[in-house]
Amino acid sequence: PHPSYFSPGVEDFQENHKREKHYGKRRNGDRQQNKRENQRRKRSSKSVSEPETSEDGDDEEEVNNDGEVRPELLSPEELEKLKEAVDEKKKLIQSLRGKPWPMKQKLVTLRESQLFVEKYEGALGKGKGRKLYAYKVMMTKKWMKFQRDFENFKTACIPWEMKIKEIESHFGSSVASYFIFLRWMYSINMILFGLTFGLVMVPEALMGRPYGSIPRKTVPRAEEAGAMDFAVLWDFGGYAQYSVLFYGYYNNQRAIGWFKFRMPLSYFLVGVGTVAYSYMVVIRTMARNANESGIGDDNSFNFSWKMFTSWDYLIGNPETADNKFASITTSFKEAILEEQESRKDDNIHLTRFLRVLANFLVLCCLAGSGYLIYFVVRRSQKFALDGLENHSWWERNEVNMVMSLLGMFCPMLFDVISTLENYHPRVALQWQLGRIFALFLGNLYTFIIALMDAINLKRKEEKVVKYNITMWEASLYNGTGSENSTAPPITIHPADVPRGPCWETMVGQEFVRLIISDTMTTYITLLIGDFLRAVLVRFLNHCWCWDLEAGFPSYSEFDVSGNVLGLIFNQGMIWMGAFYAPCLPALNLLRLHVSMYLQCWAVMCCNVPQERVFKASGSNNFYMAMLLVILFLSTLPAIYTIVTIPPSFDCGPFSGKNRMFDVIQETLESDFPAWFSKVFSYASNPGLVLPFILLMV
Amino acid sequence: MVSPAIALAFLPLLLTLIIRYRYYFVLFYRAVLVRIWKDCVTGLSREERAFQYVLTNSTPGDPDSILDAFDYWSSKVEFISNIGPKKGKILDRLLMEQSPLTVLELGAHCGYSTVRIARALPLGARLYSIEMDQGNAAIAEKIIRLAGFDDDTVELIVNPSDEVIPRLRSDYNLERLDFVFMDHWKKCYLPDLQLLEGYGLLGKGSMIVADNVLFPGAPKFLRYLRKCGLYEWKIHRATLEYSKGIRDGMAELIYQGIK
Repeated sequence: PHPSYFSPGVEDFQENHKREKHYGKRRNGDRQQNKRENQRRKRSSKSVSEPETSEDGDDEEEVNNDGEVRPELLSPEELEKLKEAVDEKKKLIQSLRGKPWPMKQKLVTLRESQLFVEKYEGALGKGKGRKLYAYKVMMTKKWMKFQRDFENFKTACIPWEMKIKEIESHFGSSVASYFIFLRWMYSINMILFGLTFGLVMVPEALMGRPYGSIPRKTVPRAEEAGAMDFAVLWDFGGYAQYSVLFYGYYNNQRAIGWFKFRMPLSYFLVGVGTVAYSYMVVIRTMARNANESGIGDDNSFNFSWKMFTSWDYLIGNPETADNKFASITTSFKEAILEEQESRKDDNIHLTRFLRVLANFLVLCCLAGSGYLIYFVVRRSQKFALDGLENHSWWERNEVNMVMSLLGMFCPMLFDVISTLENYHPRVALQWQLGRIFALFLGNLYTFIIALMDAINLKRKEEKVVKYNITMWEASLYNGTGSENSTAPPITIHPADVPRGPCWETMVGQEFVRLIISDTMTTYITLLIGDFLRAVLVRFLNHCWCWDLEAGFPSYSEFDVSGNVLGLIFNQGMIWMGAFYAPCLPALNLLRLHVSMYLQCWAVMCCNVPQERVFKASGSNNFYMAMLLVILFLSTLPAIYTIVTIPPSFDCGPFSGKNRMFDVIQETLESDFPAWFSKVFSYASNPGLVLPFILLMV
Repeated sequence: MVSPAIALAFLPLLLTLIIRYRYYFVLFYRAVLVRIWKDCVTGLSREERAFQYVLTNSTPGDPDSILDAFDYWSSKVEFISNIGPKKGKILDRLLMEQSPLTVLELGAHCGYSTVRIARALPLGARLYSIEMDQGNAAIAEKIIRLAGFDDDTVELIVNPSDEVIPRLRSDYNLERLDFVFMDHWKKCYLPDLQLLEGYGLLGKGSMIVADNVLFPGAPKFLRYLRKCGLYEWKIHRATLEYSKGIRDGMAELIYQGIK
């Protein structure tokens, strides 16, 4: 029996309609009833169908039983009633999910209501406007369907969404949050790549002078022999060095190509733009994440809610069902852990002492690693002075190796020390992240200090080379004899011209090498530490004396903190070096792409879920905050070098200028109309700028 | 050839490994190094040393004092792999719940677990203890008699388990075993279990307790359990005997019979 929300007239003919269709036995009685009703309503003229029998004459019932309605035969009040009925049905369909009925009843009601609406909705338009109304209704339905399909399409277009969902269902939200972070990084790097590639590398490659035309674009004669060797190319020397990949290749011509593309200006602005864009994106994401409160709001009946409402009845695919099952299990584990952690009480003094001790040990470790790097950097400077050819490959790459090794091993030590502290896993993760952050920062800044020393060395060299070049040119002109102005200009092959040192390219090369070695270390650690270990455990287990899966070494767990920090510092190095090596964003994009696939595969194939699975809710803003700090700290050295050190005289788009930012001044003077520069000089008055900034903030 | 700096960079790794696996190092020291040293110095085997100590430090006829003496020696003087106090408590509890009348023990070693089980048996129950090694069996026999259990309660059989089990029904007139305790070589857990099933010595509700399934571990045994579906099984997690940090477990199986 259906509850009756229908208006009486509708109910009557609804019931009649149903009975007609399903039972068809009590027609006579109905017809009698309908006759009475019709007589009551004093319907006139011919009627066609039976369901509108309260409106139509019932003698036509048997004639036409197919449910067609002629609205022109309906009186306005009946139309009105019909419209109300259709609206009610629509409301019912929308609210059906929330009703506390059994599933079967819901399905039957849904089907009936949908049939009813479909049948009578189109008929509701009055008379001649009916076709338009029906058309409008159909278009609305089509539009809604299109919107739904488009939403589905948009969700399907999000890259790697299914992979990440699968990982989340097996490993929990903290591991998945790493991959979501990776994907977000990938999108940022995509934009950075677009900027540097499209506005810096491509114009120079297409419209600038080709390779070999000017000295700075040519491999010097001395290096030509080995310029194509794989070893030299892997170190980014040879042909790789004298290409659009590095700063030194770019010509300082003010406008290139047929539409006068301002290359130096573009280079400078892209550099500034990448930093500005990164700031904007990070801060905007932080603001967006700040709205989401960390832990879920309803704390009462937590487990009951999870137990009874977790399942998704719309799943139709066995694999999805398995994933959902795993995900519900994991979320139970998370909730149990949260509950346990909230109930712990402990001995405060012992805990505090242990925490202080742990921090002291960590500080010792950081100091040790800092000193080791300083020592290694000093040694490498000594090697550089001796000339690099005298030393083995190990000694030349000592700095990179030591930095990578320390970056790999010290976090493990921090992890072990942190078991003394006995924090909630989320808090312990944050401490771990903070410590690894301090470690990487120390390493990075030591590296930069080493680079500054090398830059100063090159600048001293520059003075010497400048002097030598003037001597060489003088000797060249002298050697052509004492002829005067009619002597033809001497053509020297660009490869033979003595070259000034290019500290910017050296800086770019160092960063690229560091990133490559970092990437290689990560991948090799992944393959050996995770994959090889898993293979050994799996296949040696049946012939080993103890259970390899349960005891040592067992399968590895996914290290969220280490990976997140690796990602953040990698990005920091990109930001630092992108000005001097425009190829860095492209390199990073490739690296992130490969990382995504490799790590997704490695996680599913070689790792086991952590025993204590915890929710990652509060961590996202923490990662963003660290990223912001790294952004600030990594753009600082680049800005310092731009502002204080004069560019090399012999390479890059700013050669010949006193400072790199002089290009802005130049553009303002020459490219903009005169009044603009006047306005700008007034506007850049500090008295005007400061109140403006304060207002904005 | 490799510079000292790179070697120094491996120091954190070394420290991490030492700290993370410190219990295993301690175990290695106690179970292997100290044992070799004492073997060389005294000339007695480890079980004989244990027996000497228990003889001098416990009250005859009192199983509790014998067990305590064993525990003290194993935790302070040398390491020997009895079942230990913690897992022993789990075993006692299981025995109390089950109250078996016929108990089979595979691997008596020194007799610690035999005494432990015999202590918790109900009246009229009988324990058959199988030990392969002659020397160990001799010591176990002495310990069991020292504890005051006579031949009615505990019978020690000195033969490998895969020879005894087929003859249990014929020679010892056993129809059904209510409780089986496995503590012999881990690689023999699975074959012996299958022998017991094959000779029909298990009935519905028979309980089998297997020690050390996580460390050193009996992976084939556990794999078989998961697959065959004949048992309701669970693993009681505890720590390795006389050691704090090494995780270990006892598997408790209840035979359900073929469905």
